[in-house]
Amino acid sequence: MPHAPDTLLDLPSSTTQTVPEGPALEAASREPAFRHSRAQRLADRWAHLVFLACGLLVVALIGGILYFLAARGVGAFIPLAGNTDKVLTLREVFLSTNWDPNAGKFGILPFIAGSLTVTGLALLIAAPTGILASIFIAKIAPNWMKTLMRQVMDLLVGIPSVVYGIFGLMVVLPWVSGKWLSDSPAAGFAVSAAILAVMIVPTIVSLATDAFESLPLSLDEGSQALGSTRWQAIWHVLIPAARARLLTATVLGLGRAIGEAMAIQMVIGNNPQWIALMRQSTDQTPVLRLLFTPAATLTTELVQELPNTAAGSTWNNVLFAMGLLLYLMTMLIILATRRLSQRREA
Amino acid sequence: MLSPQTPITKPVKLSVRDMDFRYGEKKVLDGLSMDIQAERVTAIIGPSGCGKSTFLKCFNRIHEVSSAVKVTGDIKIDGVDIYRGGIDEVDLRRRVGMVFQKPNPFPKSIYENVAFGPRLFGVKDRTTLDGLVESALRKAALWEEVKDRLKESATGMSGGQQQRLCIARALAVNPEVLLMDEPCSALDPIATAKIEELIFELKENLTIVIVTHNMQQAARVSDYTAFFWLGKLIEMDLTERIFTTPRERMTEDYLTGRFG
Repeated sequence: MPHAPDTLLDLPSSTTQTVPEGPALEAASREPAFRHSRAQRLADRWAHLVFLACGLLVVALIGGILYFLAARGVGAFIPLAGNTDKVLTLREVFLSTNWDPNAGKFGILPFIAGSLTVTGLALLIAAPTGILASIFIAKIAPNWMKTLMRQVMDLLVGIPSVVYGIFGLMVVLPWVSGKWLSDSPAAGFAVSAAILAVMIVPTIVSLATDAFESLPLSLDEGSQALGSTRWQAIWHVLIPAARARLLTATVLGLGRAIGEAMAIQMVIGNNPQWIALMRQSTDQTPVLRLLFTPAATLTTELVQELPNTAAGSTWNNVLFAMGLLLYLMTMLIILATRRLSQRREA
Repeated sequence: MLSPQTPITKPVKLSVRDMDFRYGEKKVLDGLSMDIQAERVTAIIGPSGCGKSTFLKCFNRIHEVSSAVKVTGDIKIDGVDIYRGGIDEVDLRRRVGMVFQKPNPFPKSIYENVAFGPRLFGVKDRTTLDGLVESALRKAALWEEVKDRLKESATGMSGGQQQRLCIARALAVNPEVLLMDEPCSALDPIATAKIEELIFELKENLTIVIVTHNMQQAARVSDYTAFFWLGKLIEMDLTERIFTTPRERMTEDYLTGRFG
């Protein structure tokens, strides 16, 4: 590119003149100044393949797990190649409360009911607590406390569940039993749900705080400018405006709760016959009986019994069917969450 | 502040004396005094950052929603100090409504937006609410456009309709004063003209204070104009006089575009 005459005052030419590396740029105009070397372009192509492979691997893993669970789980109902034992009807498994593998009874209703009960109770505690806490963090707390609490919540999400379990087993169980149950054992839904609630509150708080913080200040101002109190603004405007995201937060908490095994297994009492036991005992009000009867859930039962069963046995196959059920339930929850968040964006 | 020749003066609705306003250490408004007359439109003009919006928000204490502020001096509504006179901010805001720079309808139905204020103050009867909603929407010149879709979400309306909805929402609690913070800055010229027309009708029985960066708008809609510069009130007078024969050199320079 030749130097423009000084009389020309248009911008490009004057810029060219002021750039110190003028000659270098001229050379570059004949041939690209920077071009990727052969090696770089090759690396780019390979990187593409590596990323693709990793992506496919993840999909294959998820699909593989589903296939494996299904193949073994279905074996409980249909005679398959690996089976060494008798098969069951769906009714015997899903609609029976009698779990007594040694007597050939494989009713998993107690575990399904147990999972739903403990998760439901935990959400009943965790959702309101978490949402109210997030309102405090997002709308009321002074800045330093806001930062502190958000960090604490992030830390709590990261604590391994077995640690919560130890705390439940060593601290909460003895305390509840000594305080309210005149030293009879406290294992059961109450303590499990409480521990589970503590575990999922941070998840709910984090997501719900994001939800409230993403609301424009103008909503809050608009409400208070009409003479609402701060609380009325939160209750009548902010919570409804954040409703879809709060629901998402709760459903994600639910997803975490339903899959949790370790912590609950340590405090729930692991009694597969809990429904029968509850029916028999008459010494408490029904609510207290439900809360403090040693029980079991899908997850705790899997952790408890899977190592003790032989591959291919009916017992083992039914446990796999339970795993499959959990898998499908979690999938359903995740899909529901996605639907919710998509509707929010729409 | 008002010149003695002012033709028909109305009683003073809002009076400000020696007011300072601080955000933390920063002094945003400095030694302001002014009287705002009832059933008149008072426009506040001035360059960006001169404190005009801040000043407006002192009348309903809406600053306090989001930040810690310090106001000294007196601001009175009908002679009662709004910071120390035993009026709490909730009562104050019922009497002093506000329309914001950007329309901020709640993500609810059109009906629920307007009914929001009355509901807060305990109106439950459906017929009464219906009546209040209709009359507020009529006052905001919106009724004819929305009467068949009151149940639809307010967020689906056009910007101009949303802003008129916000005006209707403010009117539904029957305020004595309406503060408007650059209400047309997000609107197109047609929507702006509608709002200006509305302001003209509303001042019949409402005291309006409007902040605007648009000097033509101030000239069109207001009876009085106050010119702010760097947190100080430079001049306030009848709008006509401000725009034709301002007393201060600075006002004239600003209005003629020599700075701002």
